Amino acid sequence: MAGSENLTPEQIAFLKKKKAKAAARRGKPEEEAKLGMTSLMDIVSIIVVYLLKSYASDPVVINPTAGQKIPMSAADASLTEGMPLFVAPSGITFNDKKLVTLTPDGDIDPAMVENHLIGPLYDAMAEEVDKAKQMAENQNREWEGRLILVGDQRLKFSALVDIMYTAGRAEFTQYAFCVIRRNG
Amino acid sequence: MARKKKKEEEAEVEANLLPVMNIMFLLIPALLLAMEIAAMASINVSPPKFAASANQKKTDKKEEKPLDLKVFIMEDGYRVSASGQQEGADAGKSADSNRPTIPLANSSADLEDYTRYDYAALEAKAKEYKSLFPNDVTVKISAEANIPMQVVVSSMDALAGTTCKIGKTIKSGEQPPDDCYFWQPIVEAGAG
Repeated sequence: MAGSENLTPEQIAFLKKKKAKAAARRGKPEEEAKLGMTSLMDIVSIIVVYLLKSYASDPVVINPTAGQKIPMSAADASLTEGMPLFVAPSGITFNDKKLVTLTPDGDIDPAMVENHLIGPLYDAMAEEVDKAKQMAENQNREWEGRLILVGDQRLKFSALVDIMYTAGRAEFTQYAFCVIRRNG
Repeated sequence: MARKKKKEEEAEVEANLLPVMNIMFLLIPALLLAMEIAAMASINVSPPKFAASANQKKTDKKEEKPLDLKVFIMEDGYRVSASGQQEGADAGKSADSNRPTIPLANSSADLEDYTRYDYAALEAKAKEYKSLFPNDVTVKISAEANIPMQVVVSSMDALAGTTCKIGKTIKSGEQPPDDCYFWQPIVEAGAG
């Protein structure tokens, strides 16, 4: 214990205390560490309730397709129920099916358009409209015919008009442009 | 003996919270994935044939001449016309396709640069027309083929008024606020 000669009285006292504590610990059985679950449960429950609330408050959940940039707007009207139609630079998706491809210039594939009518899109829309109408009839309510157009910032006006024309032919009567709310 | 039994009965039974916690922790990422990150809104657009009902047209004729505001978005600016007369057209002409009513704010900017249009001037023009026709809320919007959707949407914002908060008003059926000008856009194809 040659080293202990150089220690200060405070350090010697600290070592003594440490030794005494270790000796006391040896005599006792080891304590089991317990995790306080109540506070954790509280936090997790609050988060789950908050997330459930925010999920339930949106009648339509919009999940943009890859590469799609939804236009920004100062509009504040909330989205109401309707059939979403996704128009990304790569193509048009309706009912989870990519139906139409867009050229690199942003035009609708010319083989799929005839006099502003987009053939594959019209067929899919007409089928879906029939189903929705029948469902509304069974539930004794009026079919609203609302289309939510989830477009892209770069979408050309000519393509937009063709899509709206096709939707009109498929008996959609109300249109809404889905936008991202600009803050401020 | 009776005391011992009572003590045993009173011994605390701890609930096993681990399965509940497992479910809760799984619910969090599932709900986070389903949640929308950006706040979505909608702009209600009318197709031309649903713009105004026959009855409305009749009453409009009796009360006042309709404004019939039209905005045509061109690559070099906006062409604004009201009651069939383009603003800024040559004398005696109803339209002058060579000159826009509102030129670009930044003419050197690319077509993909959405700030090239003078939205502030368009909003000022909408405010001017609104003061003359306070009951009019519709505007017909058309554009050249290459105009991007963001420009169309931003133009709709300018025509409605950038400070216009119409969402709650539409729901409750109240009168729209004074800072809302032409908030019911009608999209028209190729109308100049």
